[in-house]
Amino acid sequence: MANRSVAFAALGDPTRRAVFERLARGPRPVGEIARGLPVTRPAVSQHLRVLKDAGLVRERRQGTRRLYSVDPSGLEAMRGYLDQFWNRALAAFKTAAERAHAEDR
Amino acid sequence: MTSQTADLTVRRSITVAAPPAKAFEVFTSGIDRWWPRGHHIDDSPLKREVIEPRAGGRCYGLSEDGTEAVWGRVLAWEPPGRFVFAWHLDGEWKYDPDPAHASEVEVRFLPAGGGTRVELVHRHIERHGATAAKVSAGVASEGGWPGLLAEFAKLAA
Repeated sequence: MANRSVAFAALGDPTRRAVFERLARGPRPVGEIARGLPVTRPAVSQHLRVLKDAGLVRERRQGTRRLYSVDPSGLEAMRGYLDQFWNRALAAFKTAAERAHAEDR
Repeated sequence: MTSQTADLTVRRSITVAAPPAKAFEVFTSGIDRWWPRGHHIDDSPLKREVIEPRAGGRCYGLSEDGTEAVWGRVLAWEPPGRFVFAWHLDGEWKYDPDPAHASEVEVRFLPAGGGTRVELVHRHIERHGATAAKVSAGVASEGGWPGLLAEFAKLAA
């Protein structure tokens, strides 16, 4: 399972995000993922490796081909997301609380 | 880079220049003043965010069309020191009413000098596991993971 910052960095790349979004709709082999994307198939394989290392994607064998899918737990990614969510939310809360307090004085 | 998978808890704290009672009030009754926009889960535009001020109360976004899009439930209402709510949004940012699938957010408001130290713990994220699995089953949807990904992208930029 990957560190959340790795997951974030992995999704920072637009092509990699496109790859991940395709997988979010269901498991696919690399050829199908690459179809319609403006990059070569080896490039897609490279992106898949990064996503796998980040704990966002897993791979399994089906007959002679490999199927890629979103890591079923998705939990570490979700935790990372919530971590960032609260960072932003608490900063906004601090501003609101201090403003409300100042208005009272 | 790896980390412990067991720790699915978010811990955050922040110090605000306002007394605990005011901090508690703004965090709860005043949630509309600070809750990030863009996390509303209904189709109709958000009018305001609401937290009902009692244990068992609902947390919801009130839409322009009057729809109440529930996303949480108050578990502990103890002003000015403590507030706990259940987080009923699943891995697709959809409402899941089952308490067994809800994580939990505890917020403590501790006096610190003339202000307040706010300590937030978001725990039991593993309870979202069952629904997070739906993502791999291909149940991705508009405003679900793709929406989260857009958020990821902004955060990662």
